[in-house]
Amino acid sequence: MSTSVLPGTSAETKLETTRDVVVETRNLTKVYRDFWGRQKVRALKALDLSIFRGEIFGLLGPNGSGKTTTMKLLLGLLFPTEGEALVFGKPATDVSKNERIGYLPEETYLYRFLTGEETLDFYGRLFNIPAAVRRQRSAELLELVGLTAARKRQLREYSKGMARRLGLAQALINDPDLILLDEPTTGLDPIGTRAMKDLILQLRDRGKTIIMCSHLLADVQDVCDRVGILYQGELKELGRVDSLLKIRDVTEIRVAGLPPVALEEIKGVVERHNGQVQFIGNPTTTLEELFLNIVAESEAHPGRRVRGGVSDGH
Amino acid sequence: MVIEKVLPPFWTWFVQAALVWVALIVVVCVFGLLLASFVLTVERGFKRAAVSIGRAIVEAFTDLIGAISFRRISGLVFLAIKESIRRRVLAVFALFILLLLFAGWYIDPASTNPSVLYLNFVLSSTGYLIILLALFLSCYSLPNDIRNRTIQTVVTKPVRISEIVFGRVAGFALVGTVLLLLMCGVSYLFVISGLSHTHTLSSENLSAMTDPQGIVEGYTGFTSTVHGHKHRVYVDPDGKARVEMRHGHVHRLEVSGIPPDAKYSLGPAEEALLARVVVYGDLQFRDRDGVDTKEGLNVGDEWTYRGYIQGGSPAAFIWTFAGITPRRFPDGLPLELNLGVFRTHKGNIEKGVLGSIAVRNPRTGLTVETEIFESKEFALNQGVSTNQFFIPRLITKASSVQIIQRKRIGPQGVELDPPSETLDHQLAKKQEFDLFEDLTDNGKLEIWIRCLEPGQYFGAAKPDLYLRARDGYFALNLLKGFLGIWLQMTIVLAYGVMLSTFLSAPVALIATLGVMIGGLFRDFMTQLAFGQTWGGGPFESFYRLITQENVMTQLEPGLGTTLLKMADVGARGFLYAAANVLPPLGEFGWSNFVAYGFDIPGEVVLIRLLQTVAIVLPVCVAGYFFLKAREVAE
Ligand SMILES: Nc1ncnc2c1ncn2[C@@H]1O[C@H](COP(=O)(O)OP(=O)(O)O)[C@@H](O)[C@H]1O
Ligand SMILES: [Mg+2]
Repeated sequence: MSTSVLPGTSAETKLETTRDVVVETRNLTKVYRDFWGRQKVRALKALDLSIFRGEIFGLLGPNGSGKTTTMKLLLGLLFPTEGEALVFGKPATDVSKNERIGYLPEETYLYRFLTGEETLDFYGRLFNIPAAVRRQRSAELLELVGLTAARKRQLREYSKGMARRLGLAQALINDPDLILLDEPTTGLDPIGTRAMKDLILQLRDRGKTIIMCSHLLADVQDVCDRVGILYQGELKELGRVDSLLKIRDVTEIRVAGLPPVALEEIKGVVERHNGQVQFIGNPTTTLEELFLNIVAESEAHPGRRVRGGVSDGH
Repeated sequence: MVIEKVLPPFWTWFVQAALVWVALIVVVCVFGLLLASFVLTVERGFKRAAVSIGRAIVEAFTDLIGAISFRRISGLVFLAIKESIRRRVLAVFALFILLLLFAGWYIDPASTNPSVLYLNFVLSSTGYLIILLALFLSCYSLPNDIRNRTIQTVVTKPVRISEIVFGRVAGFALVGTVLLLLMCGVSYLFVISGLSHTHTLSSENLSAMTDPQGIVEGYTGFTSTVHGHKHRVYVDPDGKARVEMRHGHVHRLEVSGIPPDAKYSLGPAEEALLARVVVYGDLQFRDRDGVDTKEGLNVGDEWTYRGYIQGGSPAAFIWTFAGITPRRFPDGLPLELNLGVFRTHKGNIEKGVLGSIAVRNPRTGLTVETEIFESKEFALNQGVSTNQFFIPRLITKASSVQIIQRKRIGPQGVELDPPSETLDHQLAKKQEFDLFEDLTDNGKLEIWIRCLEPGQYFGAAKPDLYLRARDGYFALNLLKGFLGIWLQMTIVLAYGVMLSTFLSAPVALIATLGVMIGGLFRDFMTQLAFGQTWGGGPFESFYRLITQENVMTQLEPGLGTTLLKMADVGARGFLYAAANVLPPLGEFGWSNFVAYGFDIPGEVVLIRLLQTVAIVLPVCVAGYFFLKAREVAE
C-alpha cells in the first residue's frame, strides 16, 4: 500500500510497516442473549480479519449487519461469545490499549450538560493528559471541527451535526494511532461530509490506522483502501477497493486514437476467440453494484463467501 | 441525654473490629469467587472459566491499586459535580432555607429547652435532605449513563472501572460536603438567632432581703419576661450579681451604681449552647448483702438496660474513674447523674426518692458521703436537666464518713478489699478531706450512689453518671454533628453507586433504602445469630411451625434433627455476616450529642471515621467487580 507512508521513509521500512497488524480477529462471534441467557441474535459470525497499520479499512453492510457490533467487540465494550479480538496485540478487553485509540460512536454519546470545551477537557483528563497540553489540543481540535465559536455552549444546544463534529474532536484528543469511526458521516451536511472524508485521508497520511463503518457506499468508495462487506453478521467480501471493483471476466480495453478499422479488427479477434463484445467505452462498475450483487447472491445461496484474514489486494 | 450505647476504648475496638472486618472480607471474597467460578464454568466450561477468573484477579490488582490515576479520577469527579448541578442539587439548599423559615415560626422559643428543639430540627432536617439527595444522585447516575450510552464514550478511554466507581462516589461526596458546609453555617446562624434574647431589670423589680436583725443582706427580684420566661436575680449590696438559670441558660448582669438604685443591664443568653466534655467511669454493682456483682437487679422489664439496686440496704452503684488529677479538675468534680427510679410502693409521690452520693478511695476504703439528694425521676423526660452535683476539692461538710471494704466472692470464699489487716481507722476521724490526697489513689476514685428508702429502687447503667471535665466549643461540636451526617451520606453514596452498577435506577434506590433500613436492625440480627432463642434458629422454627410442634419440647434425635440444627448453624452464620455487611447508619447520627450539649468525643469520631472507610472501600471494590463483569454496551 503506497499511501500509508510518511514522506522520506525508505522502500524497505515501507514494506515492513504496511505489514504491521494493528487489529486482528480470530473466529470472532457475538450472540446477543436476553436476561435469561436465551439467544436473541447472532450478530456476528466467526469473523477473521486483519487490519494493517496505516490503512483505511471500511466495514460495509446494510443496517443490522453487525458493523457496530464488530466495532464494540474491538473496543472491549462487548465481550465475544466465541473467538477473540486483538488490538495492538492485546486482548480487546485490555484497558491500556485505549491509550492509543480514538472512537467516534454511531451516535453522539456525550454529556449534554457539558460545554464543548469542558467535554474535550474531560476526555483529555481521562487520557491523563496534563492541563496545558489539554488546553492546547482542545483549542486546536475545536478549530479543526469548526466549533471554536460554540465552545462555551452546552451540548444540549448543539445541533446534531455540531455534536457529531465534537464527537470527532473528542475521538482525536489523545492523538490516537487507531481511529474507529462508526458511520462518521451521518448527520453531516454535504460540506461536512466532504470535510470529514478529507480529514480521514489526512489522518491516514499522518500514519494513522482508520477503521470506519458505513452503509453509505460513496463514503467507503471515496476513502477506503480496503473494505469488508458484512451481511447478516457474515463477512461476504474482503479486499482492496480497486480490485473488488474489477470485474474479472470482463476485459476493458482503453486505447487512444484508434481508427475504426482497427476496432473492426479487434472485434474480429474477439469473435475468433468466442468472445463477445458487450461494449467498448468507459469502466462502469461501482461499489453499489457489487454490493447489491452480494446481497442478491446471499439471498439466493445463503452459504458463506468469506475469504480469510489476508486481503487479496497485496 | 441518655447514651444507650457506649463504645469500647479505641484499641479494644480496633483489634476486635479489624478481626471481624478481615474475616468478613475473606468470607465475601471466597463466596464471590465460588459464585463466579460456578457461573462461568456453566457458561463457558472449566478451562476458560479458570483463565477468565485468573485474568480478572490480576486485572483487579492493577485497576484497584497499580493503575489508579489521580487526574482521571479528578475528571470523573468533575463530571459528577457537573451532573449534580444539572440535577439541581442546589434546590436542596433552597428547600432547607425554606424549611428553616417555616421552623422559625413553629419552634417555640418559650419552651423549656429551646436549644434542644432548634438543634434537633436543623440536624435532622439536614440529615434527611442530604441522605435523600445522596440516594437519588448515586442510584440514578450510572444507570442513566448506561441507558444514554454516554458511558460508552467514557469506557473506551483508558479509564479504569475502579476510577469510574470511586470518581462518582468522591464527586457526589464533594457536592454533599459543600452543601453540608453551607447548611452547617446557616444552621448555626439560625440557632444562634433563634435563641438570642435578653431581659431588662430595673430597681423597682428588686426587693430587699433582710436577715433576722433587719439588716439588708441583698436584693432579689425577677427580670422582664422574654421568650416565655424570666430569671430570678440576686444582687449584693456591693453590686455583685447572680442570675438563676432558666430554660437552660443564664445572662450576665452588669450593675453600675450602688444597689438598689443602680443601672442594670443584662447580657445575651449564655450557656444555652454547650459542648460539655464528659468522662465516663466503669460501673459495678453492690448487692443488698454488700457483695460486688456484675449486674444489678432486674425489676421486671427485660428490655431495660439499666440495673437496679435496692433502697435502704448496702446495695450501691460503684463507678470507678481513672485519670482524676488536680490539673484536670482544679476546683473539684462536677457530676451529672441520670437515675431510673422504681417504686414498689407509692411513698411520697410529690417528692423524689432520697439517695446519697459518696466518694471512696479504692486503696484505703475511706468513703466520704458528700450529699443526700432527692432523685428527679428522669428529669430529662420532663424537659429539664439531670441531677447535678459538685464535689469540692476540699470536703468540709461530709454527711457520713466510713471505711468500707468491698466484698467479692473469689475462689477462696469472700475476699475483702482492702484486706482487714491494712485498714487504717484513723483516716475516718478527720474533719476535712482533700479530694485528691485522701480520696484518690493514683488518679483512681470511686463514686457510690445509694438509695436510702427501703422498698424503692434506683436504676442506672454505665453512661448514667459522668464527670464534666470542661466545656468544648459549641460551633466545633455542631461541625462534628454535621460530620456525622457526612459519614452517613458517604456510606449511602457508596452503596447507591455499588448497587446501581448492576441494578436499574429505581431498583437500586429501593435496594439502598433496604440496606439502610436493614442497618437499623443490625443489632437485632446479631442477637438472632448468637442469642439463645427458644425453638431453635430459622429452620428448626419453621419445622416446628409446620409440624405444630411446641417450642419447648425436644425434637426426636436422628438425622433429620441433626440436619435441621446444622442448617440453623449455617443460617445463623449467614445472618451474622449479613448483619455485619449492613451499615449501622443510626449510630453515626450524633444529633443527640449536639442537641443536649455534649461534646462528641474525638475517639467516637475516629472510630466512626474508620468504620466509614471500612465500609466505603469494600463496597466500592464490590461495585468495581460488578461493573467490570458487565457489558456496558448492552
Ligand atoms: N444490545 C443488543 N441486543 C440485542 N441485539 C442487538 C443489540 N445490538 C445489536 N443487536 C442486533 O445485532 C445485529 C447487528 O447490529 P449492529 O451491529 O448494530 O448492526 P449495524 O451496525 O451493522 O447496523 C442487529 O440485528 C441488531 O438488532
Ligand atoms: Mg451500526
